[in-house]
Amino acid sequence: MTIAPGHTTPPTDASVASVTDASVASVADVFDPVFSRLERWVDLVESYAARSGTIADRAQFDFLVEKLVRAEFDDSNGCVIGAGFVSAPHFLGWHLAWWLGGRNAASQGQPATGIRHLETVEDPLEESFRDYTALEWWRVPAQTGRRHITGPYVDYLCTDEYTLTLTLPVYRDGSELIGVVGIDLSVDEIERDLVPRLNAGAVAATVINASGRVVVSADAHLATGALLRLPGLTELLSDRTLSITALGPDGAHSFQWCGRTGLAVVAGPLPS
Amino acid sequence: MPQSSRAGSGTRAAIFAPLDGAGRAELVLQRLTDAIVLGVLHDGERLPSEAELARQLGVATVTAREALEILRRNNLVHTKRGRDGGSFVTFAGGGSTDLQDDRLLAWSRVQVRDLGVHYCAIAGLAAELAGDRASAADITNLERILDRTDAGIAEAARRGQGTFRLEVAALSQSARLVREELRLQAEFGALLWLSLREPLRRERCRAVQRETVAALVAEDGARARQLTVEQIMESVEWLIEAKSLLEKSPLEQKGSSAMPGTTSTPVPTGASA
Repeated sequence: MTIAPGHTTPPTDASVASVTDASVASVADVFDPVFSRLERWVDLVESYAARSGTIADRAQFDFLVEKLVRAEFDDSNGCVIGAGFVSAPHFLGWHLAWWLGGRNAASQGQPATGIRHLETVEDPLEESFRDYTALEWWRVPAQTGRRHITGPYVDYLCTDEYTLTLTLPVYRDGSELIGVVGIDLSVDEIERDLVPRLNAGAVAATVINASGRVVVSADAHLATGALLRLPGLTELLSDRTLSITALGPDGAHSFQWCGRTGLAVVAGPLPS
Repeated sequence: MPQSSRAGSGTRAAIFAPLDGAGRAELVLQRLTDAIVLGVLHDGERLPSEAELARQLGVATVTAREALEILRRNNLVHTKRGRDGGSFVTFAGGGSTDLQDDRLLAWSRVQVRDLGVHYCAIAGLAAELAGDRASAADITNLERILDRTDAGIAEAARRGQGTFRLEVAALSQSARLVREELRLQAEFGALLWLSLREPLRRERCRAVQRETVAALVAEDGARARQLTVEQIMESVEWLIEAKSLLEKSPLEQKGSSAMPGTTSTPVPTGASA
């Protein structure tokens, strides 16, 4: 089949809607397994926190998290950049039980040779201390109590990688937030995984985050990291209660949130 | 894991980023000397151990040891033995002008201009891309960084400028541009913004930062790039002017800095674009 600009049949509303549905399912196929593993970590961490009473031991805790993280790096194919648990300040103090894979900008293409602990400044009085509770990957799951995907962004203080961060909140006794568990994924690996699943001919699906930033797109000319500019999109993204699903010129595009991940899919006719 | 930045923390990471190429001992020495002299590493700050330094910079332990030994001889670090021992920066920023002047004299005009051009290529395109890619939340974050920056003293203004440039680079969404920005800041950033010694230059720098944010808000990438390139080239011209004053200054003036703005010589007006 030859596809030349201007010679394709315009997609029907039904085909746009079905591509949107299929793409939301594809996003779930890629991210749900990661969240399932994170949920298992949440369970383990929560049961540990319940056992340890009010005083949790940092070293014991790190030992537990490192074991979980190590298995994650062993299983996944270089997709995971970093993973771990970040403590609420009142639980273990300011503390990141976070590990980085052997894969980074300096060792690209090589198998992960080991993992290393991320050293951070944990004293709030130090100049380079950072209050991580103000950051999106902490703030959003802490507020909503749900899974969240942050990014894509260049993680310039940690690995210099182009990254997506998946986080889940962790509670003690079902109500007291004691931290978040998370995994950093490489955007190029996500692209490799997700783009083939989005391909659908005349209708192009684009996965965006809650700021309207492109995560990946079936439209080869839409760059990851660019902001998707469509009339009506900003309003849709700022108010989750809106049930509108059509947007763009002539309402030819279709919009759908990917569950409560913070990602959404926009599908529409490929620009000719 | 994304982390909000405090002034200079990204640059500091770049100071200890791996070195490649020949003449490594020289490079280790040069990078650490610049970082200390130009205030990126603080007086009293503990440096990583020889082995750790070697590992981070990707050089042999003996190379790191050699560099530390020369730093000790130059009275830029001192070493304490024992449990709380290690190598500590001993350089007090107040008396730094002489050493900063020496660093500037060591660069040729051609080198200074060429680094300026290289930095313009990186920071300019980053600013242009940021115009297209900055979200409302990104803008709020940039404004917070500007509000937090104390432009009253040279050191804080220089760190603030480094942070601002790094944040703008991150808004380009390009990992390569960000890495290059960090590398250039570590190599050259502190020298480039020596002009922030002058209160008027600090005010001007702040005004340009605000204008750049306004350009990003207006999604005017071309304007953001123009502002960035002009600011860098102005600073380069200031450096060259300062350098030529230093070269002309008679020997007995050494010790009282011959930098523009600290003498009775008129302040260079910088490049007009």
